[in-house]
Amino acid sequence: MTKYKIGRLGIHAALLVGVLVSFFPFYWMVVMATNTTQDIYRYPPKLTFGSHLGDNISRLLDNIDFFGSMLNTAFVAVTVTVMVLFVDSLAAFTFAKYRFPGRNVLFGLVLAMYMLPTQLAILPQFIIVSDLGLAGTLRALLIPPLANAFGIFWMRQYVIGAVPDELIEAAKIDGAGFFRTYWQIALPAIRPGLAFLGIYTFVAAWNDYIWPLIVLVDPEHITLQLALAQLNTAHGTDFSMVMAGALLAIVPLLLIFVLFARNFIADATKGAVRE
Amino acid sequence: MELSRRRLLQASLLAAAGGITAACGDDSSKKKSSGPQDIALWYWGGGLSDKVVADAVTQFAAQATIKPSVVGGDFKQKLTTTLAAGRSVPDITGIKGEDIAALLPQAKQFVDLNTLGADKLAAQFLPWKWKQGSTQDGKLIGFPIDIGPTALFYREDLFAKAGLPSKPEDVSAQLSTWDAYFAAGVKLKAALPKSFLVATVSSIFGVAVGQNTVRFIDSGNKFVGDQDHIRKAWDTALKPFTLGIDAKINDNSWNAAVGNGAVAAEVGAAWHALDISQAAPDTKGKWRVAAGPGGPANIGGSFLAIPKASANPELAFQIISWLLSPDNQARGFTDAALFPSSPAAYKLPALTAPDAFFGDQVTIDVFGPAAEKIPIAYEAPGDAAVAVPYYNELVKVEGGKDAEKGWADAVSQAKQIAQKQGVS
Amino acid sequence: MAGRRGRGARPQSIAAAWRQYAAISPFFLVFVGFNLIPVFFTLYLAFQRWDGLGDMTFVGLDQFKFLVHDPVFWQSVRNTIVIWVLSTFPMLFVSLVIATMLNAGIRFSSFYRVAYFLPNVTSLVAIALFFFAVFSSQSGIVNATLHLLHLPEVGWLSNSFAIKVVIALLMSWQWTGYNAIIYLAGLQAIPTQLYEAARIDGAGPVQIFFNITIPLLRPIILFTLIVSTVTGLQSFTEPQVLFGSTAATNPNSGGPGQAGLTMMLYFYHQAFDNNDYGYAAAIVWALFLLILLFVVINWRLVTRGERKERAR
Repeated sequence: MTKYKIGRLGIHAALLVGVLVSFFPFYWMVVMATNTTQDIYRYPPKLTFGSHLGDNISRLLDNIDFFGSMLNTAFVAVTVTVMVLFVDSLAAFTFAKYRFPGRNVLFGLVLAMYMLPTQLAILPQFIIVSDLGLAGTLRALLIPPLANAFGIFWMRQYVIGAVPDELIEAAKIDGAGFFRTYWQIALPAIRPGLAFLGIYTFVAAWNDYIWPLIVLVDPEHITLQLALAQLNTAHGTDFSMVMAGALLAIVPLLLIFVLFARNFIADATKGAVRE
Repeated sequence: MELSRRRLLQASLLAAAGGITAACGDDSSKKKSSGPQDIALWYWGGGLSDKVVADAVTQFAAQATIKPSVVGGDFKQKLTTTLAAGRSVPDITGIKGEDIAALLPQAKQFVDLNTLGADKLAAQFLPWKWKQGSTQDGKLIGFPIDIGPTALFYREDLFAKAGLPSKPEDVSAQLSTWDAYFAAGVKLKAALPKSFLVATVSSIFGVAVGQNTVRFIDSGNKFVGDQDHIRKAWDTALKPFTLGIDAKINDNSWNAAVGNGAVAAEVGAAWHALDISQAAPDTKGKWRVAAGPGGPANIGGSFLAIPKASANPELAFQIISWLLSPDNQARGFTDAALFPSSPAAYKLPALTAPDAFFGDQVTIDVFGPAAEKIPIAYEAPGDAAVAVPYYNELVKVEGGKDAEKGWADAVSQAKQIAQKQGVS
Repeated sequence: MAGRRGRGARPQSIAAAWRQYAAISPFFLVFVGFNLIPVFFTLYLAFQRWDGLGDMTFVGLDQFKFLVHDPVFWQSVRNTIVIWVLSTFPMLFVSLVIATMLNAGIRFSSFYRVAYFLPNVTSLVAIALFFFAVFSSQSGIVNATLHLLHLPEVGWLSNSFAIKVVIALLMSWQWTGYNAIIYLAGLQAIPTQLYEAARIDGAGPVQIFFNITIPLLRPIILFTLIVSTVTGLQSFTEPQVLFGSTAATNPNSGGPGQAGLTMMLYFYHQAFDNNDYGYAAAIVWALFLLILLFVVINWRLVTRGERKERAR
């Protein structure tokens, strides 16, 4: 009995070490963001929170339009999420539950692209966006996520499991057409799956870096990640200000994630386990 | 019914998203036939004096609504992205000195400023700078903003402590060659073991190359990066390393090193003063400026250009000439350490005033003569790309690689890159 | 499964299935136009010389020939592979250990799962900046700690190998929790009767682990290995942010000695700093082939055990 208990404690101890490793950057970031740059340079380093968060943030806001870029990012992330959820769930539902000529070939194409590295297409994507006149606009950020095969792939798995054929048969008997079936039967049934894909897409859009780096230009239309990187390039020596910026950039997502965490984690694994 | 309410909500969300999508992100300037025209001005942080730009906005308020944008990140990449897209192209854009050579072949993307009357102003500017902004067939693409005449920045207190000459005149006179300079560095290190004369050999290499009249590709489009003049610059750059006076700082610790005296001197352009003062504000008053060893070179210095897509090139040019009049150039010097490209500015009070950061030294006494003596060298469009292997190899040699192998690798790589650029 | 009716509707003629085509078309149009076609266009670009503003000139295999002789390219290949090895294998091992512990039926497991997953939703830019500050030679806490412990300080951001370690640590920190959660799901899918039966047969924990757990976890391990390969070999943000600067002479070069120059960073540098789109296209195709190669190698390695099992 005691061996059992010690084993448990040992496991908890080991896991807690891991949790500390996970959390330490956040803690240390707060330390750096609440002190002055001189404090950071000091040896031995100051380990506690300071009181300079306000100063650092005000310098931050002087140097870049932080909240403007956050607003841009939020706009892009929300719009992308809504669009992806709609487009992907519709397509996935169709692939999962309906047979039509060429279905397997078309889906095979999607599967093949799923395996390809996403960066392979970046140059032509940039050229297309330029030709469409969208370079430098936030709208350019809305397109690549729509072309992402992951959502289709994962959602199809989910639909297969979550929407029983009987339900669709029943809807057909009731006289519902294809789109009615999707809207009224399938969507409610896959709500948890939508929640997962929504969060996943939102987080990916919020944190995206290379594509905005390539297409966005003027300071009024950049995203948060870009603003943060530019802040570092221009004022990299002011560590406490940069860390304040990094902290503010992370916090919204952390909050959202902690709120929806359980759903997200449970559903994340469903796609993997079914591989 | 709950379902139709939710459907309504979802539909409206989609519509809103679509609506916002359509409405947002479009910044094309409205074209009005009368009243103030919109003029978009793009520059990078420190490229122009923000105060001068603000004054330009009020000065031209009647004819133009100037919209300045300080574009962060990789400016050239942003500029070429916008030019390629053809939308939201600014009316006036900055072009950095290191990018002008690569953009000159794209001259048809820009307005030839001579057609707008720039040629009448040519005499007011340093000839080599004017040439740098022009294509080989005489079109002026870039209007000079500032130049980067190099000089020696040194810590007067550390030099004095080490028994070296510490007054600017003495330093200029006695440390006028690279060998004399490095010998002084050895003396410095012996007296103050924690202080190095040179932060990184890369900085020496840049200056040494710039002291020649030919760079890596000559005006006949032939690769000359394996010739004596480059070899000499390479050897000069590596001397501090072999003498042990190189701090080998190639990462972000330069700022701290400048602050705590680990780096006692820098050979750099006039704008480098800003880097030093921002990195080590506490060392104010301890630095001085003297003539750089081996003579002056030019590093950096930018231009203003008018993209072809501009709707108001004449107005844009008026604004440019106002922004870069000698008086405003002098203000640029005070506000943003932008060394004027117009010799008339050198006599203005802003330039002849003592600089507190340099212990009230009148730095124009050093930079003025330096600016006039800068050698004119042809810079090919591929020059920057071809130079890269040399810098990479220098850092590797600092890290322990054999110097001869480093040279051989640098030259062979540079040759390949040159060939890819279409150089023979 | 035999005898079960086909899913959903009967197969239809093309005309009758117009609704299905309409349903998949928003996705498919964007997919084909923005994903599929660009992939082939990149290949086409790799045979051209183009600076993005002027005209394209066909140059045949020149870009690839240059690629083969470009020492910087090969350095980026080495860097990419070393960083991938450093980040993937220790991380997956640690993830497996964590998952095993979480699977031990302990309390607070959902707290642990959230805590471990948190790094994965953190902005990579922000964390890269954090690592930059922390591993800084003069002022970083890592060197300060080493100093405190009387250990030699390391030039984390200037030493060629240390740079790769820092980048690998960045990637590991972000992905360990994610992989642990996935392994956990896999572990939980293993029916406990198998363990009990083995224990009744007298098998010890180590035997159980290697003869039951690992084989049953194999598809999941393969999945994580492939995902790690595909994402790990494409690392861009970490070196770009860590060493990004507006340095006039050498932007986006991967830090001192280009030790952090990954293939994606080199691609970006060629495309957007040097405006050499054709060469950049060749680089990214080389990267794709490398990824393909590694995925195939990983696949064979992991499934080889499976084939050995079946042969037994």
